[in-house]
Amino acid sequence: MTSPLLEARNLCKSYDEGRIEALRGVDFSIAVGEYVAISGPSGSGKSTLLQLLGGLDIATSGEVLFQNAVLGSAIDLDTYRSRQIGFIFQAFYLLPTLSAIENVQVPMLAGGQVPRNRAERARDLLCEMGLEHRLIQYPNELSAGERQRVAIARALANNPAILLADEPTGNLDSVNSARIMEILTGIQKKRGMTLIVITHENDIANSAPRHIRLRDGLRDERPEG
Amino acid sequence: MASQLSFIGFAWKNLWRRRLRTLLTLGGIAMAIGAFVALVGFSRSFEHEWLRLYSSSGTDIAVVEKTFLNTSVDESLGAKIRALPMVGQATPIIFDMMDLTPDVNALVFGWKADSYDFDGLTLLSGRRFQDGKPEVLLGDILAGNLNKKTGDSLEIQGKTFTVVGTYHGGSALEAGAVLMPLDQLQLIASLQGKVSGFHVRLRPDPADESHEQYVKRAQVAIETALPGLHAAPAAEWASKNQFVALAHAVAWGTSSIALIVGILGIANTMAMSVFERTREIGILRAIGWNRWRVMLLIQIEATALGLAGGILGLGFGWGALHLLSTLPQTATIVSASLSAGHLWESLGISVVSGLLAGAFPAWRGAHLSPVEALRHD
Repeated sequence: MTSPLLEARNLCKSYDEGRIEALRGVDFSIAVGEYVAISGPSGSGKSTLLQLLGGLDIATSGEVLFQNAVLGSAIDLDTYRSRQIGFIFQAFYLLPTLSAIENVQVPMLAGGQVPRNRAERARDLLCEMGLEHRLIQYPNELSAGERQRVAIARALANNPAILLADEPTGNLDSVNSARIMEILTGIQKKRGMTLIVITHENDIANSAPRHIRLRDGLRDERPEG
Repeated sequence: MASQLSFIGFAWKNLWRRRLRTLLTLGGIAMAIGAFVALVGFSRSFEHEWLRLYSSSGTDIAVVEKTFLNTSVDESLGAKIRALPMVGQATPIIFDMMDLTPDVNALVFGWKADSYDFDGLTLLSGRRFQDGKPEVLLGDILAGNLNKKTGDSLEIQGKTFTVVGTYHGGSALEAGAVLMPLDQLQLIASLQGKVSGFHVRLRPDPADESHEQYVKRAQVAIETALPGLHAAPAAEWASKNQFVALAHAVAWGTSSIALIVGILGIANTMAMSVFERTREIGILRAIGWNRWRVMLLIQIEATALGLAGGILGLGFGWGALHLLSTLPQTATIVSASLSAGHLWESLGISVVSGLLAGAFPAWRGAHLSPVEALRHD
């Protein structure tokens, strides 16, 4: 059996001096190249889990391991986010003063890529997203679907091991939603990347090969339906 | 061709997104640096003109009282100085600042008619004055400002003097000054028997001694012969006399206040910018930028503001200095010149101002929690 790429061990996270418990002991592991959907109702702890898995925050107790090394102690969180994680957000979070191709280059400014590579790589990624005609457009000149595709290209900029998508279709219509999910799963298959999608949409959650459900900060082990 | 995003380019775009605020901040720091350039440049130019005044006449040492603003030394002490073997010539002088018209004030020098100080001047018209007579010579700049020529009369402190000539001085201080017989200035300034000091020319340097050593030895000899008086090498006296020291103090004091205001302006701009971009900083942290890189970005923006403001300020300062050099009130005591050292110093101060102003906003931005920053509206 291969060792897991990412592992959550008894993960707990509380806020407001312990009065709010967002996660109350979650365990799971994810293998290299796996596609996992994480779902649950509002307040179930999905976003908190994504923040911990993505190294944006640290757990109150328990630990997240990447390749068997504990995040925050054995692995520096900034380095982890820069090299191993590609974030895709529901609200896209593109930088408004930068064009599409410049937005894709921003993670590379932290990744130490040589100058000539940055623009070429960003262009290649945007072309892969079908945006070769939108390279120099600014976010406010792009449709919602196009913005999310720029965000996906940005997430791929440093060639991460894991794509973490937080409600990636939350702001999109059904046609664009389907296209974005097609792109994400295509990337996962083509590149062998690990894809973790946080969603509240049953269609997306159920189409994933593996589905982790959360309820009240715990894994929901009840049968689906 | 795909556009390449550089770190500096990113910082530039962040500054340019709020053009008006950026330009206003630039204006603030530019005014501060401009004030520094103009005021400190003015005071240094003043010092430089003092040095030229001594060097053009060949003065090696100035003998004055040890502590003074406008020194008052017995004229009779000149004989003791002249008696020293190293001293070639020692000539008594008085200098004072006087109002000549409501708009024009000028340095007034009292010299002996046979003073060697005349060696540094070029007579443009007329002749030298004669001791004991109410006659004056006018520097060419001052003559132009007063619209006086040889043969005209000029009233100083209620006494009428005849302009017997005009001259070009080796220094703007002389070119903008009035020269009159020592005894006449003693009379109108109520300084009978007193002088501001003595200008001393030493005999030629001995072959086995450097000029500096020779001047130092003469300095000790004069101070030993005349206890209580200070014999200052000309260069030292040019930079340390109280007029120059006062000008430097006022220039630095005023400039410092302007610089503090400029620094606060940049700090305010950067603090507002960091606050407005809280979510964007969160995005940068989420996509892998570490704290140092975020700090570097904000510091580059602040430093760029300081540097750009500094370059603008150099222009303002240079313009202000030239304006001052053309005004009748100031043209007679200073010439407009900026040294390369002063320009680099001004740019250095503008960069340091940017760094200081950006330090706290950068620290604050870098220490935002990524999660909290992403939640920020």
